[in-house]
Amino acid sequence: MENFDVVVIGAGPGGYPAAIRAAQLGAKVALVERENLGGTCLNVGCIPTKALIACADAFVHLRDAAKLGVKAEKVTADFGAMMAHKQGVVAQLRKGVGALLAGNGVKVFQGQAAFEAHDRIVVEHRTSNTEQPTSSERIKAGKIIIATGSTSVVPGFLPKRERVVESRGFLDLQQLPASMIVMGGGYIGCELACLAAALGVQVTIVELLEDVLMLLDPDVRREVKKHMEQKLGMRILTGKALEKIQADASGVTAEVGGEKLSADLLLVAVGRKPVTDGLELERAGLKTNERGFIPVDEFNRTAVANIFAIGDVNGGMQLAHAATSQAIVAAEAACGKKPHKNETLIPGVIFTMPEVAIVGLNEADAKKQNRAVKIGRFPFAALGRALATGTPEGFVKLIADAATDQLLGAQAVGAHATDLIAEATVAIRAELTAAELGRTVHAHPTFGEIWMEAAHAFHGECIHAAPRKKT
Amino acid sequence: MPSPIAMPKPGQFTEECTIVKWLKKEGDAVAKGDILFEIETDKANMEVESFFEGTLLKILTPEGGTVPVQAIVAWVGQQGEALPATPPPPAAPPKAAAQPEVSGQKSEVSQTKTAAVAAPTSSSAIHHSPSAIVPVQPAAPRKLKISPRAKALAERSVINPAPIRGTGPGGRIVEKDVLAYLDAKGYAQLKITPTAKDMAAKEQLDLLALRGTGEAGKITVEDITRAVAEKPKAMSKMRQVIAQRLTQSFTSTPHFFVTVSVDMTDLVAYRATLKAKKLPYSVTDFIAMAVTLCLKEFPTVNSSTDGKSIWWHSKVNLGLAVSLASGLVVPVIRDADDLTLLELHDRSAALIEKARNGKLLPDEMSGSTFTISNMGMLNVENFTAIINPGEAAILAVSSTSKQPVVKDDKVVVRQMMKITLSSDHQVIDGAQAAQFVNALKAKLEDVALWKKLV
Repeated sequence: MENFDVVVIGAGPGGYPAAIRAAQLGAKVALVERENLGGTCLNVGCIPTKALIACADAFVHLRDAAKLGVKAEKVTADFGAMMAHKQGVVAQLRKGVGALLAGNGVKVFQGQAAFEAHDRIVVEHRTSNTEQPTSSERIKAGKIIIATGSTSVVPGFLPKRERVVESRGFLDLQQLPASMIVMGGGYIGCELACLAAALGVQVTIVELLEDVLMLLDPDVRREVKKHMEQKLGMRILTGKALEKIQADASGVTAEVGGEKLSADLLLVAVGRKPVTDGLELERAGLKTNERGFIPVDEFNRTAVANIFAIGDVNGGMQLAHAATSQAIVAAEAACGKKPHKNETLIPGVIFTMPEVAIVGLNEADAKKQNRAVKIGRFPFAALGRALATGTPEGFVKLIADAATDQLLGAQAVGAHATDLIAEATVAIRAELTAAELGRTVHAHPTFGEIWMEAAHAFHGECIHAAPRKKT
Repeated sequence: MPSPIAMPKPGQFTEECTIVKWLKKEGDAVAKGDILFEIETDKANMEVESFFEGTLLKILTPEGGTVPVQAIVAWVGQQGEALPATPPPPAAPPKAAAQPEVSGQKSEVSQTKTAAVAAPTSSSAIHHSPSAIVPVQPAAPRKLKISPRAKALAERSVINPAPIRGTGPGGRIVEKDVLAYLDAKGYAQLKITPTAKDMAAKEQLDLLALRGTGEAGKITVEDITRAVAEKPKAMSKMRQVIAQRLTQSFTSTPHFFVTVSVDMTDLVAYRATLKAKKLPYSVTDFIAMAVTLCLKEFPTVNSSTDGKSIWWHSKVNLGLAVSLASGLVVPVIRDADDLTLLELHDRSAALIEKARNGKLLPDEMSGSTFTISNMGMLNVENFTAIINPGEAAILAVSSTSKQPVVKDDKVVVRQMMKITLSSDHQVIDGAQAAQFVNALKAKLEDVALWKKLV
């Protein structure tokens, strides 16, 4: 039985960085993965959707380039070629992860990991997911980091037909449907809905809650929705359940509040659930909570001393970069370094059209803290660069405490919002004041200037926006 | 002609009051009976109504301002009406009125200093001197000799320059002294986030006295918040009075404590039957009645002393300690010995309700001859109370709970309640205290008595 200092289960954006960090610190590391290196994020999540969204963006830009004086006629979208681009990106990144692991001396085991005891793991090799294991080997571990991630929830009442897919199935489509119903208006549902609508699919989003993208402040939500409905022509039905869902080989039908809907495809995006099947956690002395997550403390330690759990499986923020950050924390603790607590300031990015990004406290939560919350808002329409590129939609807002001038949160909706949020994240983490952000010189003309303008707006000292009339 | 709004005199001995909050702004319309502002006396907070109608023209005393009673704090009149050029003579103008308070404080502080100097080692001297209770308001700092440049540097660096040794003329702190001090204290190594530094400057904290808990010892907003929370802050006037009176009582009155367990099983059962008949009596009412009856039997317990004479009070004015978020108040049931059980219930319920809503008048909180402190609803086994100054004893009532007790040589489960009498040994001896608590116990255990009284 081979002996390792650290065994990591799962090679997603939590697992492989944990393995590499532990190896950097001199540990002998094994990484067990039952599917592909890179996990959901790289293979069937963030990366492939962004590859396809880039394709859709390029299509839309070219089609609409006439306003910038570029005439492109008969612009068409070749979905097959787009999928090929996506596959190429995924394959390249996956290869890169493999090379990084090899370069750091991490031993990769291909197979299903199952606990035998708190410090012993069996890796079962299968040729496919359903078959009985063809062979197995046992490894011993000093410390174990569980990073098995999550998978889409597909409610049991849905018909099991090929016309009903979740995000993973959607990314494997051979061709786009003519019409699509999206069940669930969270960020995954909205991203894929925008992608499809941009390529000409008739999209209807059905969300049970009062609105889509509920994690955003209402003004930001309104802005995204406006574009989704008016520019991309999709229907958004909120506060109603999707009922009487039926599917056959050619399409799906359903009802929303009495209205009959039919489409070629139903995309299910109602949330994600932790993956712990096959792990035999109880043999390690671990229990999952009532929602199936492995509970951890702020250092990612489970109830068993030598076992850590990071990423989606521990029920924290279900975001790839949160998992990566936790991976470093857990790997360093597992290698005996002085443990740090997890970072709590996690930005969120949504690749809708337009893009949205959020970090820190939202307006409502900041107000709940009994603070003198004030908002500094600035529109892209007043920013030279945004006008120059023909993308004047959207705005950014800073949420700050008027008493201390401390930046608490930021949200952005518009072109490059997902990149722009990085500056706000650094500023909030460093406990910068709005005044300092406003005094920081931002290069002109750039999108990044918008944070400086928003900081000026926070103090009512905007150079590039007229003062509000005092009534 | 605008009408002056004067600071009311809420109690016979109240000399000055503080305005806690204005409920009307300048320019607001005011009707008769509208609440204008809230005041804080040494006893409680009260609301002050308007006797006039019109517009609140001018507020003379802002929130937080303290003025003598009868001083004019605002003017009410018709909109646009001119105010009298000078306030009428009978009431001192509030600005001048604020001064006695300041000088009063100063003299208090200096008095304390002298006391401390006179008896540096004798702790007993402090016990006997009520003026040892220093208000937490920090004494005015000694005038620091510091050059403007040095002062500006200290302010910019967010440090307290007081400990710096000055090398300038006459021991004046000059810029190079501050620089040397910062250097010696390792100021350059200090790490602090921008928001934290701004907050520290605003809160007048000394960065050198702070401990950073962020990355590599960086001082963060969290550290500042903690330091601010730890800063000494002035207690409310009410709290200061509580502190002074209770310290005085506990340190100058020889307390002793006598406890008995009362078997409440029968009375609790009887109260349940009364409750079923929609009669409102609470256990507190029974205790108040029993205490009143016993005080008539033991006049020493219902007395006052100055250490030389003793006054027996012919009437029972029963104080009930009521705990509020802001502190402790003791509403007083006057002439409790003249009241029937039902009247006693109504009076105490009304007073407690008023106390909870902060509506007690100062005269409803003075003149008690004996006090009951009931923590029955707070799940305590036993406690002792501190005698209200001017009284000879106080009764502490604890929770009633099921206990194994020996009755007729058998262990049985009974509802037991401990009561503890704190007595002033100057006037009450152990035997009297024991007799008193046992008389009380006998009454509370005698259901036949209560059947007669209800």
